[in-house]
Amino acid sequence: METSSRVRKIAVAGVLGAISVLLGATHWGFIPWISGAALTIMHVPVIIGAVLEGPVVGLVIGLIFGVFSLIQAAIAPTGPTDVWFTNPLVSVLPRLLIGPVAWLVYQGVRRVHEVAGLAVAGVAGSLTNTLLVLGMLGVLGHVPWAALPPIIWANGLPEAVASAVITVVVVAAWKRIAIGRKQGSSI
Amino acid sequence: MSEFDFLGQVTIGQYLPGDSPLHRMDPRAKLLMALAWIAAVVACRSLLGMALAALAVAAGLWVARIPARFALRSVWRALPFLALLAVLQVLVMPGNRTGAVLWQWWIVTVTTGGLLAGALLVARFVVLILAISLLSFTTGTNDLMHGLEHLLRPLQRLGLPAHELALTFDIALRSVPLLALEAERLAKAQASRGGEFGGAKGGAIRRVQQALPLLVPLFLGALQRAERLALAMEARGYVGGRGRTQWVALRMRSADYVALALVLGIAVAVVLV
Repeated sequence: METSSRVRKIAVAGVLGAISVLLGATHWGFIPWISGAALTIMHVPVIIGAVLEGPVVGLVIGLIFGVFSLIQAAIAPTGPTDVWFTNPLVSVLPRLLIGPVAWLVYQGVRRVHEVAGLAVAGVAGSLTNTLLVLGMLGVLGHVPWAALPPIIWANGLPEAVASAVITVVVVAAWKRIAIGRKQGSSI
Repeated sequence: MSEFDFLGQVTIGQYLPGDSPLHRMDPRAKLLMALAWIAAVVACRSLLGMALAALAVAAGLWVARIPARFALRSVWRALPFLALLAVLQVLVMPGNRTGAVLWQWWIVTVTTGGLLAGALLVARFVVLILAISLLSFTTGTNDLMHGLEHLLRPLQRLGLPAHELALTFDIALRSVPLLALEAERLAKAQASRGGEFGGAKGGAIRRVQQALPLLVPLFLGALQRAERLALAMEARGYVGGRGRTQWVALRMRSADYVALALVLGIAVAVVLV
């Protein structure tokens, strides 16, 4: 991709932020899952933005995602756990780091393999979200520490897989990276 | 066809138009007040302070003439879970086992410290929900964005792009309805070709695969939209925030300062009491 202009960064951050908001508001962002709690993919726009346009864009989309989840938790709670997210320490702060972490990991791994870099960035960004949000819940004493590992296993890991798949497919399609035998035509 | 109506589900910025003193206040003052409020409620450690905070929020709702039924709707929805959380706080959290022991049975110990922690938890969340709702009820999104940009302006000296940040938020807010329409079109297109979504079975990969036919075009369409938007902005000579003037000039009136001082005072009191 050619060097990205400032205006372009603003536009991409805004539109991807809107996707995050939309995924949350329409519940498209929640994939039903066996553990009862739905898998969420609302953080995937943050990862994609960070990979495409750099850490600052990722940070800003994370901010939009976080602030929106705060507002939604307060105005239109969708589930019981939403109550926790009315605290900006839980809903905003951890989300700021998703983008920068995903970008760093992507920059590191892409030198070896571009597609692998995308997948690892998806996993890393997603785990950043899971671990920091749950960690913050633990620190604030909402959830006992012992209850956290099962949540990470049951939700965090499938979420990481889901976000890696979506990141790879969307970014590969956007940057026209040919994947596999069919050169990407099967996705 | 209601399952395709994504636009109707987007309920952010529940603005209630009105002409109360709170509605007419400067958005900057309202933003600062909301921030001070959230910080105070999160930091508050005593029941008295929390009661003060709850009373002040109730007064705010009354001044803004927000119907109580309307304001309490979101609190009502969260209440069952709040109750559960409070019970857990009282019964399970060992850190709260301070104060006099009121009742003991097997591993369950109810102490005054535990009861206090439970009550504080419920009160804190109710006040937070009401405070954030109050801001969004009385302030339209346009005003909020304006206020945000002005508030961030002093940080521009430190290199923070205040104007750009506010613009990004604005683009995001304005894109949501457009993307919702696009999502609706995509879902209908997939459904008309026999695609199914929701209620799917299978592992994580399988389920993500079922979501991909919707997500990928949604993302790619959005990125294309961003590209066109950037091109259009550049073509019209957009150069960022420098030397930009505004159609609506914000002006802090004396009433705004008084209200802000009042709320800051109460916030400090809530933390210190």
